[in-house]
Amino acid sequence: MSGIDVIYLDNAATSFPKPPEVAEAILEFLTHKAGNPGRSGHSLAVAADAVVAETRRSLASLLGVRDPSRLVFTLNGTAALNLAMYGLLRPGDRVVTTSMEHNSVARPLFALAERGVDVIWLPCAQDGSLDLEDLDRALRAAPTRLVAMTHASNVCGTILPIGAAAELAHRHGALLLVDAAQTAGVLPIDVTEQSIDLLAFPGHKGLLGPTGTGALYVAPGVHLTPMQQGGTGTHSELLSQPDELPFALEAGTVNTVGIAGLSAALRVLKATGIEAVRAREASLVERLLEGLQEIRGVTVHGPLDSAQRVAVVSVILHGWEPVDVGAALDSAFGIAVRPGLHCAPLAHRTLGTFPLGTVRLAPGYSTTDDEIDQALVALRELSLSAG
Amino acid sequence: MTTQDPRADDRYSRQTRFVGVGHEGQRRIGAGRVLVVGCGGLGTVLVNLLVRSGVGHITVVDRDIVEMSNLQRQLLFEEADARAGVPKAVAAAAAAARINSSVEVRPVVADVTPDNVEELVASADLVLDATDNLQTRYLLNDACVKLGIPWIYGGAVGSTGMSLTVIPGDTACLRCLSPTPPASGTTATCATVGVLASAVAIVSSIQWTEAIKLLVGDRDHLNRTMLYLDVWSNDFQQGEPLTPSPDCPCCGQRRFDFLESTATSSTTTLCGRNAVQVSPGRARTLDLGDLARRLDGVGVVSTTPFMLRLEAGGHELTVFADGRAIIKGTDDMALARSLYSRYVGD
Repeated sequence: MSGIDVIYLDNAATSFPKPPEVAEAILEFLTHKAGNPGRSGHSLAVAADAVVAETRRSLASLLGVRDPSRLVFTLNGTAALNLAMYGLLRPGDRVVTTSMEHNSVARPLFALAERGVDVIWLPCAQDGSLDLEDLDRALRAAPTRLVAMTHASNVCGTILPIGAAAELAHRHGALLLVDAAQTAGVLPIDVTEQSIDLLAFPGHKGLLGPTGTGALYVAPGVHLTPMQQGGTGTHSELLSQPDELPFALEAGTVNTVGIAGLSAALRVLKATGIEAVRAREASLVERLLEGLQEIRGVTVHGPLDSAQRVAVVSVILHGWEPVDVGAALDSAFGIAVRPGLHCAPLAHRTLGTFPLGTVRLAPGYSTTDDEIDQALVALRELSLSAG
Repeated sequence: MTTQDPRADDRYSRQTRFVGVGHEGQRRIGAGRVLVVGCGGLGTVLVNLLVRSGVGHITVVDRDIVEMSNLQRQLLFEEADARAGVPKAVAAAAAAARINSSVEVRPVVADVTPDNVEELVASADLVLDATDNLQTRYLLNDACVKLGIPWIYGGAVGSTGMSLTVIPGDTACLRCLSPTPPASGTTATCATVGVLASAVAIVSSIQWTEAIKLLVGDRDHLNRTMLYLDVWSNDFQQGEPLTPSPDCPCCGQRRFDFLESTATSSTTTLCGRNAVQVSPGRARTLDLGDLARRLDGVGVVSTTPFMLRLEAGGHELTVFADGRAIIKGTDDMALARSLYSRYVGD
């Protein structure tokens, strides 16, 4: 399907291969529809606007968003997270977060802490799980503006209880920001049912779209200060940024080309069904975990129960440095993984795998059983020859 | 500065008395800005002569450190530099300061790449090529033709040497002569066939002479041919004067393929803390057993079916059969590239 001889197990970084419909939609958009959305009434502008509006609605229906205008397009998950945190937090605000966060949450919070935001880091267990009592205790300790947490670890796949966290946060008057980088398109998410106030996600991972896409959902009643001002195609007579969403937070032309690709990806995803994606990935993970446990000298990090994790599996091979395992898998077996710290040093400290990190195997919906088996054969061979 | 300071006058007296230079020529030399790319055999002789002749502003770029095997021909370096592992550019600048404190020598410890070459070249009146590879020369050719800055090609290997003066728009450029460089690994290098110090010294002395002609403004006496010499076979040749080719992709059509190319000889990526991966720019297959034999004695070598590990000079290189290497103990991309080219080869 991919056309190249690589066993791709790096879907946690970006999904590959993309459904062929994605490239087709991008070509179709660039060839026939590539006007500037909402900036004029001519046919190309209208066509582009329709693509953007349709994609927004499609995302809204996938994620349980009732009002699509509350979905703001961004360049990636990181931009969405930054918009949420910088748009919301002021000096003196208190934030509770976890020790499993990716740098896209940890670094903005670290920077905001230097500007007077009080950041509380909740230590997670060595399997990456969060004790809700710790969260409750932290929320009781002082008035809190925001709970910021990942939905699932990008290092070891552990799923965090966002529904329960939302309930706790709201009980203590805090908002909940969820980093859905590893879960959007993979786990069922309903922001309305789960009472999520802010949901940030990229379009190029589980949603199967191209890079350069992402979005932030902003719940009704949550006001974010724009990080940038500029043209929106609406209220051009005003020198101030319009208040209504998505324009308040969407200054400048959005990535129409990428959004057209994302739209096609969402159609494929919906036709497949999130439940089917989840079931397929769970089956791949079970196959992988079972095989890994049979290899001497392999340590798996994160939960062994596939119900408690997404398809992100971190391992250590004894006698090997993770970075060498990654290079050996690629050079000798054509297997693409990601070794190292995965932009999440705090999570690796939590797992006890800092500073060398782990080898991360992240299959995706289109990974085959045979590819998992080949990866296991390769790891077994490497385990017999200390690095 | 030269005419007002009697000591300076005395310092350069043998040069100013030469009819081609004179006091005005010496003033221009003092105001000159010269970039020397590479500080090995050619580069050290060039810096030495440039500094002694009073060229006011010299920038010398090199990514490597001084080693014992350099001392046979690289005239500015001493055993202490090799023992301390001083970067060549830094050691050259320090030696230059001891020779002539009135000129400025700026060391740049870096790889010359499409990303930094224009910045380096732009502030120079002329560029002296003292590199050891054609990839960099094509890159210099692109940058110099684009910015209209003269450059002087020089090369020496074995007992042979070559030199060519390139004045963009006036003489042939490197791509007029050969639109594409030969594939890497197909030409002789000093590491494989050796090099005589005299070949290096003669070529760099010719380059220096051309540089001085350019600085004093005497274009009539420039050498407009490709110069070839073999000091062992007593062969000295000069071709026909070369003029720009209208079909030249570089100076004729102003296409700067090497500047705009993303395909350099190798790419480096940081992988984890204190480790850099160097990937070869083309597909290659390494015989790890063969490499292990070549590296025997260079450091501690160990091999597994999947990789070769070399510990040498405080660094650890893990080399894989597809040509990539992970260099641990540094996050310096230029150093990683240099260690790769030294131990694995480009």
